[in-house]
Amino acid sequence: MDLTADLLLNALVSGLLLGGFYAAVTVGISMSFGILDIVNIAHPGFIIVGSYVAYILNARFGLDPVLIGVVALPFFYVLGAATYQTYHVSFERRGQEALRSLAFFFGLLFITEVVLILVFGVDYRYVSAPYIDKSYTFGLIQLPMRMVVPCVMSLLMLVLLQLFLTRTFLGRAIMAVAQDQQALRLMAADPIKIKRIAFAISIATCSLAGAFLIIIQPVEPSIGREYIGRVFAICVLGGLGSLPGTLIGAMLLGIVESFTATLYGPSWAPAISFGLLLLTLAVRPAGLMGR
Amino acid sequence: MRAPAFFAAAIGTAILIFIVGCLIGNDYLFFAGYTVVQFVVLASAWNILGGYCGYVNFGTAAFFALGAYTSVFFHKTFPLPIPVLLAIAALVSGLVGLGTGYLTLRLRGAFFSIATLALAVVLQTFVVNWDYVGGSRGAYVIRPNSVGVFGFELDYVRYLCLIMLLLAAVAVAIARTIERSKLGYGFATIRDDELAAEASGVPTLKLKLIATTLSGALMGMAGAPFPYYIGYVEPASTFGLPYAVNSIAMPLIGGTTIWFGPLIGSILLGVLTQLATVTISSAVNLLLVGALLVGFVIVAPNGLVGLVQQFLRIASPGRPDVRSTGLVAVAGFGFIVGLFDVVFNLAALLASDVSGEAIATAGLVLAALWLVSSYGLMTIRRGSPLLATVAFGLSILLAVVHIWIDRSLGNVALWGVGVAVAIGAIWFLQRRHVQELYQPRLGQPEVAA
Amino acid sequence: MSPLLQAKGLGKRFGGFVALDGIDLDVAEGERLGLIGPNGSGKSTLVNCLCGTLANETGTVTFEGRVLDGLPAHSRTRLGLARSFQLPRPFVSMSVAENLKVPLLYAVDSRAHGHLTPAQTNERCEELLGLVGLVDCAHKYPRDLTQVDMRKLELARAMAAEPKLLIADEAMAGLSHSEVSDIVALLIRLNERGTTVILIEHIMRAVMHFSQRLAVLVSGKKIADGRPEEVIRDPEVERAYLGQ
Repeated sequence: MDLTADLLLNALVSGLLLGGFYAAVTVGISMSFGILDIVNIAHPGFIIVGSYVAYILNARFGLDPVLIGVVALPFFYVLGAATYQTYHVSFERRGQEALRSLAFFFGLLFITEVVLILVFGVDYRYVSAPYIDKSYTFGLIQLPMRMVVPCVMSLLMLVLLQLFLTRTFLGRAIMAVAQDQQALRLMAADPIKIKRIAFAISIATCSLAGAFLIIIQPVEPSIGREYIGRVFAICVLGGLGSLPGTLIGAMLLGIVESFTATLYGPSWAPAISFGLLLLTLAVRPAGLMGR
Repeated sequence: MRAPAFFAAAIGTAILIFIVGCLIGNDYLFFAGYTVVQFVVLASAWNILGGYCGYVNFGTAAFFALGAYTSVFFHKTFPLPIPVLLAIAALVSGLVGLGTGYLTLRLRGAFFSIATLALAVVLQTFVVNWDYVGGSRGAYVIRPNSVGVFGFELDYVRYLCLIMLLLAAVAVAIARTIERSKLGYGFATIRDDELAAEASGVPTLKLKLIATTLSGALMGMAGAPFPYYIGYVEPASTFGLPYAVNSIAMPLIGGTTIWFGPLIGSILLGVLTQLATVTISSAVNLLLVGALLVGFVIVAPNGLVGLVQQFLRIASPGRPDVRSTGLVAVAGFGFIVGLFDVVFNLAALLASDVSGEAIATAGLVLAALWLVSSYGLMTIRRGSPLLATVAFGLSILLAVVHIWIDRSLGNVALWGVGVAVAIGAIWFLQRRHVQELYQPRLGQPEVAA
Repeated sequence: MSPLLQAKGLGKRFGGFVALDGIDLDVAEGERLGLIGPNGSGKSTLVNCLCGTLANETGTVTFEGRVLDGLPAHSRTRLGLARSFQLPRPFVSMSVAENLKVPLLYAVDSRAHGHLTPAQTNERCEELLGLVGLVDCAHKYPRDLTQVDMRKLELARAMAAEPKLLIADEAMAGLSHSEVSDIVALLIRLNERGTTVILIEHIMRAVMHFSQRLAVLVSGKKIADGRPEEVIRDPEVERAYLGQ
């Protein structure tokens, strides 16, 4: 293979675009794991559900997938709140978190995958939208719209979320609940309610992330598993709970995956994120940004 | 019972089961039985790290597949007898377990769990890209027809079952030995409070590494005979998620703190799985397992053993009396019947026409009644004896219908026994001594569910 | 004579917050040291750093002349440095007696001449139970214990490691007047048998009665260290901790 500048440049751009999307996928975990300390490994499962929701509504009504993602936000929010409530009543209150909650979320991930297989089968599903097949070329660089649109939308979502967390009272309460629940109580805010809201928001992001995913690539139920490694690799790389860190980690991963796919072929891609995760955990668990 | 005696008893039991199986002579029994016994090993192995130490391993498939692919590799290079393959698989998987542990066990438990998931995917990717063992296309492993063991010619599948039975006996015996030893105390402190364990002088990292290595080695040994059993090995199913889910669900449902918890869970779930896969589909079976896992984790976190222990603590502290033994038997019976009823009726529901659907739905309702009443009996909820009585009463009706439909001797005998059991149970549940356990009394401790 | 435990320039930060700012502390063998200070002054952080639960960033800790830096907590316990936790952390799946067996099996048994037979382990366990007054609770589980008994268990478990130096971190919080006296008497008895004790407490009556020497920690710095009667009259101590 000729390592032309063209090839490498496009690999880089692809990686950045992919990274933007990965950030959207990860931001929910950054909140639930980084801020709330809940290891929600079912998160990718919720994202795949989001993809299928986009698929159904797109196939039935021809709606734009991003629009579907936005419209479905409240439903995912409610789903997230219900999940947190179950988690809280079953585990947080009893103080038996570690083993049981991991098994709980793992069970949820598993159940969502199996239900999707039962309902939709294992065929790949995709959405159609006017911009998906378009691609613009600037000099050497190709910009496929099916990657640009999700990336731009992801960045927008990230910015909005960051503003929410740092500028609004509720957002700052969420950041605070990670640090000191007692102080929060003294401020007459109910920490459980705050945590529920934060978790619900993290699941709501899955609605959009799922829509973005199915724009970028066709989806089938077991894809969620690949994303577990990616998501946690990014979290650990970027430092838990830091949204800017998540973006940087996501970009890094996107670039590394993109280059690997270009140079060695896509079948090695899953190993990259998971391998990177293992490496980071072994060497520098606090991540690049630290906490 | 001291450790060496238990080892001998376990091996003896395994051999006995094998001999009984040979006498029954049904080949399907061996095929299906192999899977169940394999899960006994996987569940017991998982529990050493998960139940005893509290560290959740999502990568059972990784260690299992390592064992399997080690066999594939040697089969292509230089075929070796199974016992040797077992030893090599133990070494390979054990080392990988040690390595993974060393890299990640100094971090929080959650990171370790994620790392095990990562390990499974990384290993799968390597195998997919390694053509020598078949890559993604898979590898065929032709097994010999039979093998000579101590002068007997054994059919190869039966030979594999014997190996697996012996391995299961060893795994269970190891678990029990650890549990009652100094090592077991150390593991329990790690599970309860790692910080306090360290402060009490427990070398937590060393113990966790021991657990991970042992657990991984046993899982690898379970995987070594697999290619010969199944004949065709490919990465997608060998590294499949069902291994992870089952090896977590079985100990959690059975009970994680004691050696017979995983045993009970794996036998129960293993048989259920075989049944569901055959009568419905493997996808629905997986759904059932997942639902059971989530259900138990929420409702009965200490598993069946935990439920019974909790019940006995309140109903008869000290030695179990007749009343509590009877209640455990009734609840156990109801639970098992309920579970199997769910599977049978689901199968009927999915397979039949409208009238069949009505009956199947009714059957599912009855199954739910069984499960709820059994749970209620063990958690001492008011009204549970009544609920259980209703369930047994309805089942008598059902038995009568079955006898009416098919009056062959075998059928009448089978359902007749069921009716007798049901009548006995109903009588037992109405006794005052039993009823008063479920009346609220002042000062009676609330069972925290 | 060189001190049993010596901390030199101990420092620890959490992000931007300085928990310990260059602490120097010497503890002589056989002494009874009291450590007081307002909440958040770094007392528990100090204990954590001394015992290895947390890693200090600057400074050194020496025990019996041996540098402890880098040694994990369990090794320090085996060397003879034990602590009880401020909020009791019992092993919930084990009975009270079994809780006490853990340090006997893992700390005491691993020492050079410490090997215990099962009979000896049981014997020492019984002795400890008698010492703290938990004989009736031997087969109870931590979830069924009263607050008081939980604190006694916490202390007893630390004592089970047969330490040369025991750090009791606020072991008496929430206890009644007579219970406090009991614990103080217990610790003094322990000291008379040769164990050096560091007592961290808020209950001034107990601290004054117990301590041969008193140190005061405020905002991560040691502001006083000397004879108890003199330390409590120190104006800086009065201002920072005792109130006027």
